[in-house]
Amino acid sequence: MGSAVNHVRPWLAATALAALVAPPAHAQRADASLACRATATAHVYDCVLTLSRGGKPLQGAGVVVGVDMPSMPLAHSVAPVTATPGAAPGEYHFRLALEMHGEWAVKLRLSGPVRDQLILHYDFDGTRASPVRR
Amino acid sequence: MDGYTVGVLTNIGLFSFLALSAYVLLVAGELSFGQQAFFGVGAYTAGVATAMFGWPLAAATAAAMALGGLAALLVGLSTLRLRGLYFAMATLAAAEMARILFELLRWQREVNGERVGPDGAQGFRGIRWVFEHGMEAGGFLALIYGVLSVLVTALLVLERSRLGATLRAVGLDPEQAAAVGIDIHRIKLGVVSAAGAVAALGGALYAHHNTYVEPRNFDIMLGVHALAYALVGGLGTALGPLLGVALDVGVLEGSQVFAGYRMIVFGGVVALLLVVRPRGLLDEQIVNALTRRGWGLR
Amino acid sequence: MLADLAQNTLDGLGAGASYAVLALGFTLVFGVLRLANLAYGPAIMLGAYAATWVSLHAPVPLLALAAITVAGSVAAGAYVERVCFAPHRRARAGSGPAGAAAMAAMVASFAVWMQLEEAATLALPRHLYAFPPLTTGPPLSLGPLALRMETPIGLGVAAAVCAALWWMLYRARFGLAVRAVIERPAAAGLSGIDVSRVSAAAFAVASSVGGVGGFLVAATHGQVTPHLGMWTTLKGMLAMMIGGLGSLPGAVAGGMVLGVLESHSQWYLGPQARDLTAYLLLFALLAWRSRGLARRG
Repeated sequence: MGSAVNHVRPWLAATALAALVAPPAHAQRADASLACRATATAHVYDCVLTLSRGGKPLQGAGVVVGVDMPSMPLAHSVAPVTATPGAAPGEYHFRLALEMHGEWAVKLRLSGPVRDQLILHYDFDGTRASPVRR
Repeated sequence: MDGYTVGVLTNIGLFSFLALSAYVLLVAGELSFGQQAFFGVGAYTAGVATAMFGWPLAAATAAAMALGGLAALLVGLSTLRLRGLYFAMATLAAAEMARILFELLRWQREVNGERVGPDGAQGFRGIRWVFEHGMEAGGFLALIYGVLSVLVTALLVLERSRLGATLRAVGLDPEQAAAVGIDIHRIKLGVVSAAGAVAALGGALYAHHNTYVEPRNFDIMLGVHALAYALVGGLGTALGPLLGVALDVGVLEGSQVFAGYRMIVFGGVVALLLVVRPRGLLDEQIVNALTRRGWGLR
Repeated sequence: MLADLAQNTLDGLGAGASYAVLALGFTLVFGVLRLANLAYGPAIMLGAYAATWVSLHAPVPLLALAAITVAGSVAAGAYVERVCFAPHRRARAGSGPAGAAAMAAMVASFAVWMQLEEAATLALPRHLYAFPPLTTGPPLSLGPLALRMETPIGLGVAAAVCAALWWMLYRARFGLAVRAVIERPAAAGLSGIDVSRVSAAAFAVASSVGGVGGFLVAATHGQVTPHLGMWTTLKGMLAMMIGGLGSLPGAVAGGMVLGVLESHSQWYLGPQARDLTAYLLLFALLAWRSRGLARRG
């Protein structure tokens, strides 16, 4: 189980920087952590995402997952996947098909109760994904 | 358009700015391994402007281009009298220095109770302007291509002008050009700055597409790829670099046919192509032939 | 304080020895053969990776690993020579280093660089692989200083390689042929020298020097990474430039200077400052050189 890598602090206030964005009035940032296991196919991982907000599990969010490689941006095209809600509250499942081992930036686009985009850095080594702290 | 296609097209669009930046320098006869640094300057500048100071995207992008052009000018002033490989190495050194400086850059501001800004090697998160203004991926794609079209049109117009011809003359035979009285040094400085501004423009858009940048994004490989795209696509027209990007990012990568082997295939294609076409696919010869026939000129 | 200075210098000389051998290889390629070969470092990396692969599957003595590294670098180098430089050789003969054919060859070499990097990561996908270290056992104590045994070994290898190259280039018939091919290719061909054989052989010599350097680097660091190609290119070119392009003893000196400079700047200012100083030095050297050109032109 990976620890939370998102650098955003939990004691945030509203994000309403632009009036164009639809409600809610105070959009508190979401926190995420990722746990992935390799499947039989090379570079394909089954992942479980845990979302929370303000310490409580975040349910009912639409999650679209994209990836990019920090050391070679724009060069890899991996199809974005939509995560499906899992059994436990705040859990979402998806399958990630990567191109190679190494550090990937996992981009989560959240919609629904929270509109946000989170970026998590994980190292995928062929068996699991470990969070990266630099 | 599905998410995957939007993603691939976005990558092509963003990479095209960097490829065009390398292309402009190549036409003027200079090989630069350092354009990714100006891509980075643009990314950080625009990100700082919008995320830390609430500037609108247009103003932030303009600032990015200005700083990118200025940084390029400074590098050019110190190095432009160098020949071929030495100039290339100088640009490499400058680009790596820039990347290290990005790793040392720590500047954060409190915005709405949250600390935002570049945080050294950890990167610069929270460049949310596009996101917060309700622009979806498709909308931003249109913006990227809109800006790209304006740039390419400008370059195509320039190429048909006297300035464009002068540039090519400087690139293909500098001694000859100097003999007819062209101020080589001033032209090259202008090109170097312009190339830096173009790269910075791409970087600004990249930062807002990604919402996050880090120093590692701007490493040598990015610049080397851009250079390869410009050279493979062809040096005869501004559409050449776009072709190069589309071939690798679009066809080779997008089709996923060569998953895991793509670089081997692309590298092989480039090396073999250069034997028969050293100036790329859309080189000056073919462009001249096409335009002459197509436009019925001359 | 003085002990730190001395220790850093000692450590710097150790690292510098590897840089010196790399610089010798780069001087051969860029200075003597006058080829802008950006796939040189990656070819060295491939050699090191070949040795790593073997060491992972069987307990092989260190000397054998060195031989494998050299062989791998030579093989990869032969591929580079065939694909990037041989086809452009005739066209290149006329124009200077910035000529169109030379540029096409340079670009082809970085296309092959990308190929070699991908091939390496396909064979050995992880970020880091252990490489058997050059010496096991504690460093030698010289009073307050610690001398890692890699340092004298590396220095010895660098000196030996430099001497061998110097003899080959300036005392042996082969060296004469090489220099003839570089400086007067048409005349060399006419006087019966097999230009393509000599070029290929010279390239192989340069690749083997690179292989030796690569082995030293891998064994002193005790590990290899996919970044080794880029790393050796940057260090080798930097050291070569410091020593003055084209001079063999200069390359060794340049390697030493770089090693010591890095060691001190890392100690006093940290790893980023270490790299920053190295690049700054390269940039400054080039800018100063450019001013020299401006004054003349």
